[in-house]
Amino acid sequence: MPRKKIRTFTIILTLIIQLLFLSAIFIEKLQNAYTPFVIIVLSLLLLVSYVKAPIHHRTNLHEHVLIVLWIPIGALACYFLNNVCHLGPVIAAGIVGTLGSFTPLLNKQSTYLKQLPATFYCGAFIGMTNIAIASSVYFVLAASFFAGVLLLVSKSLFNGLGGKLGTVAFTAVTITSFIFFLLFKK
Amino acid sequence: MIAFVLVLTSVIAAMLTFYVNHQLKQGPVRSSALLSLLVASFLYIFPNLLPTELTKNIPVVFIGGSFIGMASKKIADSYVKLAISGLVFAIIYLNTSSFFNGYGGALGASAGISLLSVLSLPFFTPKKHHLTNGVLQLRKIIFKRNKH
Repeated sequence: MPRKKIRTFTIILTLIIQLLFLSAIFIEKLQNAYTPFVIIVLSLLLLVSYVKAPIHHRTNLHEHVLIVLWIPIGALACYFLNNVCHLGPVIAAGIVGTLGSFTPLLNKQSTYLKQLPATFYCGAFIGMTNIAIASSVYFVLAASFFAGVLLLVSKSLFNGLGGKLGTVAFTAVTITSFIFFLLFKK
Repeated sequence: MIAFVLVLTSVIAAMLTFYVNHQLKQGPVRSSALLSLLVASFLYIFPNLLPTELTKNIPVVFIGGSFIGMASKKIADSYVKLAISGLVFAIIYLNTSSFFNGYGGALGASAGISLLSVLSLPFFTPKKHHLTNGVLQLRKIIFKRNKH
């Protein structure tokens, strides 16, 4: 039973984050002629998808818990390339993702290595965060922790959906920045 | 004009990534990362080729559009769906709020929203074959009897 509760909780959390993202646009662009209308339509379509579309599968894929350890490494590498080398977020994420995608070649039989590219890429999205928001390395590490938990919890949800990794990273960064806001900025 | 180019970029990015992912069998992560890396580094090396606004925005839109193309074949079965969700992604990107500016994963979240909203579209199209064969046969027989 707790597994099912966790599943429902994760789905609802993702939905809340996505609606939060859309409502931020909605509030900001209220003066605009067509944007609020588009946002309302998008939210309704999103709800229909959540209720009806077959996006959740039960996978038989055996997932290692330890793949989560690679998220902070991807995140720190991307953060370093982005904010210290000033390459820009896209090139940094591209480099980390491309290098990460070659890891399964090290040992083709290993199922553990096959899951690493997605993990690296998820970490890279966290590293894309601007230095104005992720002011220190600790922010990146905390966000990586949340992303790891979310990635493990949502392993059979949103399977094969483009943007799943990005949504996980975004949720983690949002939670972390909220916590940091409560702790440090008053 | 700039908006049109950005919409075109995201549609092309989504379809190209899907093609490289499934037709060339490169896997979702490599196709998305490598294509975005190529586009971004091209514009990084030649910054004066295009107007400044395009040079700044095209890599970001491209990597966001390529997240849509990372979808598996079960989820997105046609290029039309990818093109529509690329369009939706570009609309979200053009209107994105400054509150979430610079958040890592905001692009991925918008890509996820656009793909999810497009996935609900098939539920609104009317079903073509809602009558089974047996019902059709029965109707034929009844109408024949009424004619006599």
